[in-house]
Formats: sequence, structure tokens, C-alpha cells
Amino acid sequence: MKSEFRIQKIKILHIIRNSKFVILNSIFFSILVVISSCSNPYKKLSKQDYSHSQIKNIPYALPYSEKTIIYKTDIRFYKNDISGLLIIKKTDESVYRIALTTQFGLKIFDFELNQGNLNVKYCVEYLNKKIILNTFEMDFNLLLMQMNFESLTAYDNKMESQRVWQLKSGKLNYNYIQNINSDKIENIRFKKRNSEKISLGLHSYKGDIPENISLQHHNIKLEMNLKLIQ
Amino acid sequence: MTKILSTILSFLIFSCILYAQDKDFKEVNDINKTQTELAKLSKNTNSIQSTFIQEKHLSFLTENIISKGEFYFQSPNKLRWEYSEPFNYIIVFNDKNILIKDENKLSTFDTESNKMFSEINNMMIGSIKGSLFTDSERFKVKYLENSSQYLLELDPKLPEMKSMIKTIEIYIDKSDISVSSIKMIESSDDYTSIKFVNRKMNQQIDNSKFNLK
Repeated sequence: MKSEFRIQKIKILHIIRNSKFVILNSIFFSILVVISSCSNPYKKLSKQDYSHSQIKNIPYALPYSEKTIIYKTDIRFYKNDISGLLIIKKTDESVYRIALTTQFGLKIFDFELNQGNLNVKYCVEYLNKKIILNTFEMDFNLLLMQMNFESLTAYDNKMESQRVWQLKSGKLNYNYIQNINSDKIENIRFKKRNSEKISLGLHSYKGDIPENISLQHHNIKLEMNLKLIQ
Repeated sequence: MTKILSTILSFLIFSCILYAQDKDFKEVNDINKTQTELAKLSKNTNSIQSTFIQEKHLSFLTENIISKGEFYFQSPNKLRWEYSEPFNYIIVFNDKNILIKDENKLSTFDTESNKMFSEINNMMIGSIKGSLFTDSERFKVKYLENSSQYLLELDPKLPEMKSMIKTIEIYIDKSDISVSSIKMIESSDDYTSIKFVNRKMNQQIDNSKFNLK
């Protein structure tokens, strides 16, 4: 009886020791995960490299649409609210016109985005500042996938039903996150040294074009909400 | 067959007349007489209720962007633009207050804090009431006419206005001396044209139209 009890005690001690090991192990493992996620969260996922020209494999139709796209747009920039119609028109290969007009039709800005460079055709004085224009350049490059990049890699995250298309340029990462089930790009994230700077959510697709787009900057108070009209 | 041909022919002739009417504006001979005639505009206009069709022309688009809605004006300074297309949007100018209902969100401003809206408000009321073309400090005015309309071309003089708009064209029907359309031409030659159709002049407008809740 006594020996039986002793055996049980040893077993319990063994389990406790074992579970301590498991806990310690899992803490160590989580630290590892956190550290590794700081460097690249997709590192452990299966990946596939693509060439520059294979950017068209990304299932994102907005940059290729030949139609005139019009979004009802609200921009909140610090304490300023700007609203109107955002008109996007692809005029040539990698050339876009992007204009915002007020409800009454007057133009707020009219930009040309050519190979990722923003040229100002017209801009109201209060927005015509280099720092603001650079911000718009980055935003529209993200939305229309026009930025320069060095490499393109797709990571499969089966747990989340996602495929992450990562465009990389030095310390800059542009992630186009595809929902495997819907086959649409539902999130875009721009990271610099793995700290997120800009994120976009693209929802309720109407055909190939998202009906709702919300864009948010994480280091400045700027957000844009777009609702598809045409 | 002859019936079809004659219909097509009469349609073509009619279109040509319309086209000629639109293009055939000449400078008025007697500016003083025209000014006296146009002074009726502000006297005659106590209120307007009208449907409006707004067309935005951008050089890089082949088609214009169309907006539509209802317009209400009550002298001296109450204005309501109620857009129903391409989405619901109401903007009310009531003295110094601006009220905006964007879908279901209501916001209020005062004209002093929002220069751009204040300028738009002055321009719209000034165009409709006729006070804009007597404002020689802010505009250089050219008086033109054809058989059915006056056309006033207003070139802004102030630099801040000039940077936004090159010319404002105001079309006034001779039959009842009322504004039938306004065209705002930007320096790039892109323009916005607003046509007022089914105009009801000087009818009672409920005051609640100039308040938003």
C-alpha cells in the first residue's frame, strides 16, 4: 500500500516537473515567437518568390480597371474635414489621374500618378504643402499598387486563410493580404522596419472593385473613408 | 419613309437652332439698358424652388459626372441644396450658419470659420440675386445676349478667387428675367455647370426647409 502510494507520489512529482518544463518551454517558445515576429511575422510560413512582372498574379483588380471609378470620400486630417468625390481614372500604363472635387464640383486637387510619382495638376493652397503631397503620394501608391519594389514574395497563412503578397524595398514592406476564401485583397499594410505606418481595409467587393475602403495612418492623424458610387 | 425622313430632318433643324441659340451670343449694345433690365432680377426674386442638374467636366474624362437634386432659395440669404444623386446630401446656408446632412450625419459650421463655404454661398446667392455682377470690385463683367437669353461673364479680380475660378457664366432667361444656369470655369478649363429646371418663382417655402435636424 505504502509503496503504491510512493509510486503515485513519484508519478505526480514527475508530472509537475514535466508541466514546469512545458510551461517554461512554452514561455521560451512565445518569447521566440515574439522575437521572430518582430523580424518577419511570415517567416515560418510556406513561401514562394515571384518576379517583378508577376505582380499581376496578385488578385487586385483596382489598379487595372479601365473604367472611371468614383468614390464618395471623407478625409479627416487633424481637425480638418474634407469631403467630396474622388475620381480615379487610369489614363495609360502606370499612369492615373486622381481628382477630388467638392459636392459643388470645384476641384480640391487633381493629381497625376505616373510610375509612382505624384505630379500636381491643381491643388488648393491649404493642401499644397510638400509634406501633405508626399503623404498623398504614399497613400495612392498603396491603393493603386504603384510603388517601386525590389522583391515579391507570397506567404501562405493557412491558419488565417490568408495569402500575404509582400512587396519589399529595403526596410519598407508593402503587404497585400488576400482572403483565400473570397480570393480578394482585404487588407493592405505598409510597414517600415516592421512598424506599421499605414493600413487599408477593403470591404464589400462589387465585382472586382471594393465598395468601401478605409485608410488609416498610424503616425499622423489622417484617415480616409471611401464609398463606391460608380 | 418620307415621314421618317421629315422627322429626322425637322429634328436636325431643331437641333441646329438649339445649337445656334447656345453659341450665338453677342455683346449687348446698351449696357445701361441691360443693367436696368437685369435689376429686375433682384427685385423679382424673393424665392426660388427648382430642380437642379449639375454636370462636372474634367478634361481627362470622356463623360461628365452628373449630380441632381432640389434647390430652394429664400431672400435675402437662405439657401438649401438637396442632392439626391449620386447620394443623399443636404447643405443649408441660413444667415451665418451652414448645416450639412451627409447621409444621416449632421454637422454645423459658421460661414466665418469656413472661408470656402462662405465664398460658395456668396457666389451662389450673388448669382441668383444679381448682386454678383454689380460687384465691380470683385468681378470684371461682360454682358452678352442672344434672342432668348442674357449671358454674363464674370472674371474674378481677387487673387484667392482667381486661383479657384477663371470665369463664372450666368445664363438669364429674357422671358422672366430668372437665372436658368450657372457655369463655373476653372483655370484648367474644367468646369461645373448647374442648370435650374422647373423653376417656381416667388412661392411660399416652408421655413423648416432651412433647418436641419
